[in-house]
This record gives sequence, structure tokens and C-alpha cells, in this order.
Amino acid sequence: MSSIVPTMRHVRGFDIVRPLSVGLLMFMMLPLVFLPLASIFIFGTSNGLDKFWAALMQPEAVFALKLSMATSFWATAFNVIFGLFAAYVLSRYNFWGRNALIVTISLPTAIPTAVAGFALLLLWGPYGTLGRLLTPHGIQLMFTAGAIILANIFVTFPLAFGVIKPVFDTMSRSLEEASATIGATRWQTFWHVTLPSLRGAIVSGALLTFARAVGEFGSTILVSGNLAGRTQTAPLYIFAKFNEGQIEAANAIAIVLALFSFLIFSVLFFARDWLDVD
Amino acid sequence: MRHTTSPRFTFLAIVGLVLSLLLIGCLPKPPSETGGTNITVYGFSIMKESLEKAIYPGFSAKWKKDHGQDVSFTSSFAGSETVTNQILQGAPSHVAILSIERDAQRLKSGGFTTTDWHTYPQKGIINKTPFIILVRKGNPKGIRDFSDLAKPGVRLIHPDPISSGGAQWSILAIYGSELKKSELQSSEPDRARALHTLQAIWKNVISTPASAREARTTFELGNGDALITYELEGLLMKEANAPIEIVVPQATIYSEHPAVVIDKNVPADKRALVDAFLQYLWSDEAQQAFVRYHFHSATNSAFDQAGKDFGNIQLPFAIDYFGGWDKAYPDVIEKIFRDQVQKTK
Amino acid sequence: MKAKEKFVEEHRMSASSDKAPPIATSVIGLSKRFGKTGVLENISLDVAEGEILVLLGASGSGKTTILRIIAGLEQPNSGRIILHGRDVTELPARERGTGVIFQSYALFPKMTVEKNIGYGLRIRRRRRKEIRQTVDELLSLVQLEEHRKKYPSQLSGGQQQRVAIARTLAYKPEVLLFDEPFGALDTQTRTHLRREIRALLRRVNVPSIFITHDQEEALELGDRVAVINKGHIEQIGTPYEIYNQPATEYVATFLGAANILEAVVKEGFVETECAKIPAELDPKVYSAGDRIKIVFRPEDVLLSRTDFLKPGHFKLASARVEEVSFVGAYERLRVRLEQPGEECVDGETPYYLTTETPERRPRSIIATRPKPEAVAARLKIGDRVVVAVTSFTVLRSA
Repeated sequence: MSSIVPTMRHVRGFDIVRPLSVGLLMFMMLPLVFLPLASIFIFGTSNGLDKFWAALMQPEAVFALKLSMATSFWATAFNVIFGLFAAYVLSRYNFWGRNALIVTISLPTAIPTAVAGFALLLLWGPYGTLGRLLTPHGIQLMFTAGAIILANIFVTFPLAFGVIKPVFDTMSRSLEEASATIGATRWQTFWHVTLPSLRGAIVSGALLTFARAVGEFGSTILVSGNLAGRTQTAPLYIFAKFNEGQIEAANAIAIVLALFSFLIFSVLFFARDWLDVD
Repeated sequence: MRHTTSPRFTFLAIVGLVLSLLLIGCLPKPPSETGGTNITVYGFSIMKESLEKAIYPGFSAKWKKDHGQDVSFTSSFAGSETVTNQILQGAPSHVAILSIERDAQRLKSGGFTTTDWHTYPQKGIINKTPFIILVRKGNPKGIRDFSDLAKPGVRLIHPDPISSGGAQWSILAIYGSELKKSELQSSEPDRARALHTLQAIWKNVISTPASAREARTTFELGNGDALITYELEGLLMKEANAPIEIVVPQATIYSEHPAVVIDKNVPADKRALVDAFLQYLWSDEAQQAFVRYHFHSATNSAFDQAGKDFGNIQLPFAIDYFGGWDKAYPDVIEKIFRDQVQKTK
Repeated sequence: MKAKEKFVEEHRMSASSDKAPPIATSVIGLSKRFGKTGVLENISLDVAEGEILVLLGASGSGKTTILRIIAGLEQPNSGRIILHGRDVTELPARERGTGVIFQSYALFPKMTVEKNIGYGLRIRRRRRKEIRQTVDELLSLVQLEEHRKKYPSQLSGGQQQRVAIARTLAYKPEVLLFDEPFGALDTQTRTHLRREIRALLRRVNVPSIFITHDQEEALELGDRVAVINKGHIEQIGTPYEIYNQPATEYVATFLGAANILEAVVKEGFVETECAKIPAELDPKVYSAGDRIKIVFRPEDVLLSRTDFLKPGHFKLASARVEEVSFVGAYERLRVRLEQPGEECVDGETPYYLTTETPERRPRSIIATRPKPEAVAARLKIGDRVVVAVTSFTVLRSA
């Protein structure tokens, strides 16, 4: 805090507002955020760390975590590249229907994930509108890891795009014009000038997308078929374990996911200088 | 903007990142993929233990012995209606084990099951279990029968009849038990009293989870005073030393669980295997395994002797008391429960 | 030979050594419309080898558009651009070989100074050694060696501008295009910088086109200045020419305060109101009886207490002092001409115009006096003076 921030001081002496505000904030966050988080950790390890570890080492648990990582990775890779492309086109070019397209891209956040999953089934399921055309060729899109990736792509679609596009919007055109007059081709300009300025947005967009994809449940449970040890992602696994009454096992994986998200957002926070838009 | 990263650090960071990304990006191999042929079973929630721990290993061993081939199993468990919906949407299931025959009929109407399961032993029913009431240890609210659940102050957990087959059994259990008891007294089933009891009980429902399993877990975590569920669930909980008691009603229904083949999904070369698996479910070995996991046998009631702690039900009845699911569903679940009980809550 | 000199020397040798410097850049018949609005109308100009041409005009006059069209960032509706004999009108910006210095400098924020400068060569895939050498030379030329590893955000405005120039010089552009480069700087830095840049451009001998709205800058910077008004060129000439011999009223008033009077051409002199000022006008252009306007600058005005005037000063009228202001190096006065008597010629009231006061102030004249004179012969408001003129230019009465 520099001297630019005006300190809310009373006329003289001790300033009560500051500790009061901070205290109130902590107090409100306690039941809403801290306690639920803490309870996962406490409950998961309450039966002893060896049980916790055993639950973690179950082959199906390990598989679920790996599957979550892999499917989230590919969904993120796709959405970052696509988000980059979409942000470029929608920011630079004006055409009829442009604003409608921007709104459409942002739609998936408004749709309940279960609805999204169901829609995908209706479209690509073996008896779905398009899926039934693929079945005779032996191509089955749903109930596979691919289906999970597809569902993740849909649900996290607008995230990376939403982070990258503002950077494009505020990016000075004269940088690209300068590069052009210096003699660079469009691609050279994009690679040497545009992309480095997007570096921060790309990384934070990717991390955001990844974290969101890892936790996705509503659509995954529908399109994956929830086959244990085959298409069961970590959130699905937690849910299944909960249903079986194996609360500790469910918590063990939940702890891993929570720690992972914590890691991602810590990186986002501590690297925010490097990630800063110029 | 700070630019404190040295070139070397950046290079190492990028290399590390790329490597870890490559690792992450590899889709993992399913642990059960041990080669050989695979049977995919979609089952309703409480089937999980018996199938995974006894039935699958038993059948795999037998098949390996007889045919020298390895068999692996993949399963998915949820509420019976949910399982059926998944299969109707194209889930890659070979066999479905359901909680109510109505779901089997839905699969038949959808064209997924063409083999008539009534041709199987026991008309397709692989096991059964009566519906009982679970209460907290010490039975603080003094529940002795279904009607006691209508007492004021009793908080009931009851799964959602829309998604859970177990919930539908439960409704039938309550309704039917009142009919049976009134028959005893006046040789005529008192429908009005049965409806009244059902309505009164439903007023005490505080939570409707999506499946019987979920309902059990919710109850286990301390919600509610009572839970109507499969006897099997209660016995499993007692095995795990949960602080609960099983209250066996005077009259109650036996839920009967059919198994069907999803003919649409079974290729010709797998037919023999799947049929063999299905037939295995009625083998003595399998039936005894079911009893070990607290089901009642469908083939031989003698096996039930081995079942510890099975409750003694005075007035048992089954779905044919209502004239089969064809009648029970529209008459009781729809006309009585949905239209007269649920709507008035 | 030091690196800096070597670079300069190479450039000089590539320039021609003829008596009249050859044309480096030509713009022929450029016009541009945005929708229905015409922005440029038949613009033609030349820049000679090594010359600095300044495009001077108000905002919206179209000067920036001319620059952008030459650079290839916009396409004209008609006209041609020739760079060193090459018709580049159809070529995209990247193939033209122009060096643009943007108003915001447009330095690449994530590259160091040396990476910025070397960018043009990197994308042309030159060898690393060659790039390094050129970058070193240029850093030395613009005197930024100690800052080579810094990022643009760590530099001052003037330093950033030098990097921008070096960046373009790296690939030996056909012409340098400066888009109001001093706009973002304070007056002191502006002045200092434009002198530096002028000196630098002299050394590297690359033809340059500057855009500005500041007439003082234009006069100091340009070898020639083109005054642009609403999309067409009013006049192109040396700073001396456009200042002292403005071809139109617009040019006259854009370059500074201008006193303008209507007059009539007579044999051997021009007559305005009561004054007859001797003048030799080209008989081919002006004949007796023509109505003209005469223009003279404040510094061309002499204020005297008496009717006695030195040779070369011609009496205009009598006037009263209305306003006196002290502007540091000189004194600025506004005087109000007295009403003419009956014997004077009937004409339009004289007036003056400056860039700051677009409306005509009737019967008022602006005069400036250097400090010594102001001190020696003090004048105050209300004093009666005789207004004399030492030189003037003729505008056709449009």
C-alpha cells in the first residue's frame, strides 16, 4: 500500500474501522468458505493417515484422478487455442452478426451443466440426431473419455476466451501496424508481437479453464456413462463413493482436488505480476 | 511490470512445463483392462457389493475354467430409473440389473431388450429383499410399524420415486401393508385408511435423495429419524456397526429384482458369454453369494437360512398383490401417490 | 572509424551526389474518400533525397491520412506512390520498405531495446552476427548503449522515440514517416528533441516526412513545408517562402499572426484606404485596378510617435494603442486604426488574423517590438501612434 491510497483515519488516534472491517470479513468467510474447506480435510484424515493413503491408492481412485487430469488437459488445450482464435477474429473484424456470436460464445456458462450433458447425449448419443449417423461406421462418441473432453470443452468454452479477448480489445493497433511497416508478415506479427502480449492472458485463461474442467460434474456424469474404472472422473468417483457410504474414500479424493485447485489459484496469484497485461 | 526472470530459468521452466504437460495429457489405462473380453453391467445402487465382491470373481473363475478365457467386468451403479435412462440414451451396457420390473419393461419398449426375461428362471428375478424401517439406536421415537412414521415429530428420509426404484417399492410397502392389515381385521382392504396413512407419513419426509443408496448415506450421516429401505441396506449398516436398529413391520413387500440382457448392445460373438453370465446368476453358487450379502434367494428359500438376522415378516406380499407392475404403477404410484399424496404436501 | 560514423558514411555514399538532389519519394494525385466524405483531394508532392518535408495542417486536414497511405496502412481511391522509382501503390505495407515512427512510438513492450531495434532484421532472417553489428551501430548512433537491455516502459519519451527511429533505420528504409512524433512531450523536451532528430536525420541522410500541427516546429524542422487544409495542399515551399510569401490567406494565418488589408493595384504602388505603399508587382499577373489583399507580419510593423519615418518604412495610418503585452523576448501590441477621412479610398476594413483568433478583428493591427525598442520608447494603452509597414506580400483577392 503506497501513499496513494488514502488512509481512512479519524481525526486522531486509533483507527477502529480497519481492524473491524478485516475482522468482519474473516467472520463472514468462516462459515461460508473456511469451515466447509476445513471439514473436508478434517473428515478425510480423521480415520488416520494410513486409511487416507489407502483410499488414495485404490486403482480406481488413481485412475479417476488421472482421467480427470487428462480430459481437462485436452479440453483446456482446445479451448485456449480456440479462444485465442475467436478473440482475434471477434476483436479485429467487424461483420454482420458479430455481437450475436460473442454472446453465443458466452452462453455455456448460463446453461446448467446437466442440461449441457443431456444436450450432448441427444445430439451425439448412439440414437442421437447426429450420433445415429456415426453408429453404422462403428464410431461411438458418447460414453468415452472423448465424450468427457467434449462436455468439458462445451462447459468451459467461454473461460479462456473471456480472459483473452479484453487483452485484444485494449491492445494498441499501432503495434501491429508498426510490425507490418517494418516488414513482418501477418504470421510473424502474430508470433513476435501479438502473442507475447497475450502471454499472461493465455496462461491465466488456461489455468482457469483447467481448474474448472477438473471439477466438472453435471455434464460428465451424463455423457460418460459413469463406468467405474473406465470413464469415471474424480468428481464422479467422489460421488460414487459417497453413494456407497464410503465417506472417507470420497473425502480423500476431494482433498486431492481441493489441494490441486488451491495450487492453481496460488500460482495465478503469485505470478500475477508476470501475468499482468501490459 | 517486472522482468526479473533470467533466460535460463525461463528455459528450464518451459522444459519442465512441457514434460509435465505431456505426462498429464496421456489418457490413463483403465485398471480393469486386463485383456480378454469385457461385460458391462449397469446395476441399481445396492447391487454393487455383491456383484463386485462375489458374483464377478465367481463367474470369471468359472468361465476361465470352462473356456480358458479371461473375463473382465465394467460396472456403473445409480438409481434404477437413472440406470434405465442411461441405457435408453445409449449407455454401452450389456446387462442391466434393476430394482423394479417396470424399468425392464421400459427397456423393452425402447427396443433395447428383446429377450423376454420371463423365460429365465424365476421369471427373471435374481434376488429379493423385504422393505423394513431403519431407526436410530434405542429407537427413541418408538417406531414399530409403518403407521408410526406418521407420528408428529418423526423426520423421514425417503428416496425420490421419480429416479429411485427403491422409493417406489417403499410406497407400495406402506400402502400395501395398510391394505393387508386392514384385510386381517375386516377381510376387506381399507383403501381410505391406506391412503390416509400414506399421506400422513409423506408429510414427515424431510429429504428425497435420488437413489436408495444416497438415502442410506444421508441417513448414515445423521439426517432424519427413520428410513424405509431394503433390509439388505440395514444389515450392511449393522455389519459396519452403525448405531441403528432394524424395525420389521408386520406387513411389508418383497422387492424383486430382475436382470435383463440389453440385446441391442450385445454383438453376436459375445452372446454366449452374456447368456452364460445371466444364467450364472441363478446358480446355487451365485444365490448363496447373494444371501451372504443379505439378499433373499430367489431360487431356494432354504438358502435363506444362512442369512443372519433376516427379519421375520408376518404378512409378506409381492408385486402381484397389486396385479403386477402394469397395474401397480398407474394405480398406486401415479393415481394414489403422485396425484393424491405428493400434490397435497 | 567509429561504428556510428561508419553507418552514417554508408548511407551517405548510397545517396546521389548530383547538384539537384534526386527525388526519393513521390506522391502523385492522391485522393481518398471515407464513405461520402472526401478526405484528400489530388495530393501531389515530392521528397528529395536526404530532405525533410513537413506536412503542416490542423487536425482533420488529412495529413495523417497521407502518411498512412504512403506507409501502406490505408489505400487511396486514386493516385500513385513512388519510392525510389518503384511504384508501390499496389504493394502491401510490409513490402514497401517505409519506416514509420508512430505518435505512440509503438515499441514492442515485451522486447528489450536491442530486440526492438533488431526486429526488422530478425524477420528478414539476417545472420545473427549482422544483426548484432547493426544493432550496436544504431545504439551508438542514437546514444542509447547503456539502455540496450531495458524495456520500453523503463525509458523516457525521448529515449523511446530514439529507439523507434533506430528500429526503422535498421532495415534501411526508403523514407521515414513521422506521425506527430513530439505530440506527447512537454515543450522543453519537444524543442530539444526536434533539434536532435534534425541533426540525426542530417547525418543518416534518409528522406523524411514529418506530420505536425505546430507551425514553429514545421518552420524549424523542415527543409520544405507543405501546408495542408481540408484535404488539399495550400502551398509547398521552404520555411522562408511560406512564412514570408504565403500564397493564400490560410497559409498566412496558419503560420502565425497575420495582418491583412484589402488594397487596389495602382501604377507603381498599392493603395489601401489612405495609404499609398510603393510596390513593384509583376505586370503579367497584376494589372492596375485589381483588387488584392496585402499581408504583413507583426514584426513588419513599426509604431512611431511621429510622422517622421525612416526610409523603407511606409505609413499606413494613425492608430491608438489598445493592448500591450510582454512576451519575454519581445513586446506585443494591438492597435486600433483610426477612421479614415473622406479623401481615403473606400474599402473593406483592415483586419488581422492569427491561428488563435480565427475571427477577424476589424480595424486592428498586431505589432511586435523587440525588447530594446520597447524599453527605449515606452507605449501605453491610449497612446496615439503612427503605424508603418516595412514589407508585405500580396495575396490574390479570392
